[in-house]
Amino acid sequence: MRRFGHRCQNKAFAFFTFLLCSGGAALAAPATPPLTAETSDVATLPHFSDHWALIATNNVAFTLYDGDKGTILGTVPAKMIDNINISSDRAKIYAAVSMWSREDHGTREDFLQEYDAQHLSLEHEIDLPPRALAVFKQQNLELSADGQWAYIFNMSPATGVSIVDLHDRKVVRTVDTPGCALIFPWAHGGFSSLCGNGSLTNVAFDGKKAQVTQTKSFFDADTDPVFEQSQVDRHTGQALFVTYTGMVYPATLSAQPVLGQPWSLQEAASQPKAGTGVQELAWRPGGKQPFFWHKADNRLYVLMHTGTYWTHKQDGTEVWVYDVVQHRLLQRIALPGPTASIAVSPDTKHPLLFAVQPSGKLFILSAESGEVTKTIEARVAGFLVVPTP
Amino acid sequence: MRVPLFDRVTETFTRHLASHSPRRQFLARFSTLVAGSGAFPLLPVQRAQAESRTVPPVQPNIASDFDRLAQSTDPTKCNYWRHCAIDGVLCGCCGGGVHTCPPGTQPSPVSWIGTCRNPSDGRQYVIAYRDCCGRTTCASTPDCHCNTADREMPIYRPQASNDIIWCFGTTSTAYHCSTAAIVGQA
Repeated sequence: MRRFGHRCQNKAFAFFTFLLCSGGAALAAPATPPLTAETSDVATLPHFSDHWALIATNNVAFTLYDGDKGTILGTVPAKMIDNINISSDRAKIYAAVSMWSREDHGTREDFLQEYDAQHLSLEHEIDLPPRALAVFKQQNLELSADGQWAYIFNMSPATGVSIVDLHDRKVVRTVDTPGCALIFPWAHGGFSSLCGNGSLTNVAFDGKKAQVTQTKSFFDADTDPVFEQSQVDRHTGQALFVTYTGMVYPATLSAQPVLGQPWSLQEAASQPKAGTGVQELAWRPGGKQPFFWHKADNRLYVLMHTGTYWTHKQDGTEVWVYDVVQHRLLQRIALPGPTASIAVSPDTKHPLLFAVQPSGKLFILSAESGEVTKTIEARVAGFLVVPTP
Repeated sequence: MRVPLFDRVTETFTRHLASHSPRRQFLARFSTLVAGSGAFPLLPVQRAQAESRTVPPVQPNIASDFDRLAQSTDPTKCNYWRHCAIDGVLCGCCGGGVHTCPPGTQPSPVSWIGTCRNPSDGRQYVIAYRDCCGRTTCASTPDCHCNTADREMPIYRPQASNDIIWCFGTTSTAYHCSTAAIVGQA
């Protein structure tokens, strides 16, 4: 026992000596140079990628995500009542913001913020008349394709639209749109709004004068209203107005909009047209942001669920992909869980499908195969914006 | 084209009224009138008790999913019968009640309107979903944040749209929570 302890002591001494010698050697002759002092700097971004998305997060910001890596690139502050959009050349990000001087009271200020998309630096702020305060809708802040005009929906509760000259950085006028709401920009010189009687009001604006025209009713707002989140291509002024039951009304917008032949999302999928019965179970469109029109492929992505009428806000379980020209279902993508909002990257090579769950989880899928490539606990508030092609 | 005298008089009167009446004042008074009108007839619950104790069954062809699952005992739940078209945080979870704003907030004089079926008496009631305003959004538990949509309409039908912050005519337009007050029988 004693001899064993003595041997242990010898071994411990040898090990300690080894450590001391090796440590001493390291101190005496460093193998690598010491780390140098660093300068604090700021990251900049390359040109806005097809695969990036601005995603409303945690009711405090729109967070810029890289959809390929699933990582955060930067942040633009904005609350639930604010709004955001990306210019067609992707050089600017605009946020329409409302706030009070003392958090929840005091002087209310409404303004349009202009961010440089490469540095996410706040370049300018343009004062606005009081905006409509509502749950985020892309159709409350739209931009003209040429980058000169921003259109901002107002509600006091009388409705109107502020027109902002983005070159001169000022509001040039507001246009009253009584009984009508939201903004669907034309290819040039104006926008249309959806009206409570099932028609469109059309505002032609040449930079000075606004002229308003009205279409006849083309949908029944009482029994089957058009979704607020209906889609428009700001480059062509073509729109797809989709109703609660799933009827699609194509239109080319101008002072005299041209309406195309309506078609049914269900019939295009070889199913009976969905009706307005509160117990009529069918596949229906629904969610917070249930549509995305992929212009380059001319495909309409629709968040679908099985439900009855008045389930237009229900989360979707699948995305149905339609050929907009042939009115034909091309693909059904099963989602990893109930999904509130979707958007698709604008490229045709490997488009990504962004799917946001009510729990705040963000899924990124291949829009071609439906395979989930990224899952992120992003604390998403339900809305997202991608650049135009 | 010659405009008839009646039309001209009516137009002149309407324009005069519009140009001399503050819109918010009008909205406040009008909404008070609308909301108050429900108090004059007998309360629907009293009427229901007086007429019959029998609850008419839900008609299967008009009952929505919400109707069939609605309850009439706990107003702090999303499936409480009056919440058939509410979007927001329930004020009952925030120190207020089903028609009561929490302390320090202010009810909006205007609101969106829903029509909900009371499972206790089988009747349909018009519900005014008034927002309570002037404080930052109530930080209740997530189960008090409801989003139902029976007869809910897009924003171009604002009177039935629940995505709008309805804090018009209040001192501050900041949103805090939503109530569901009975206006009257539908």
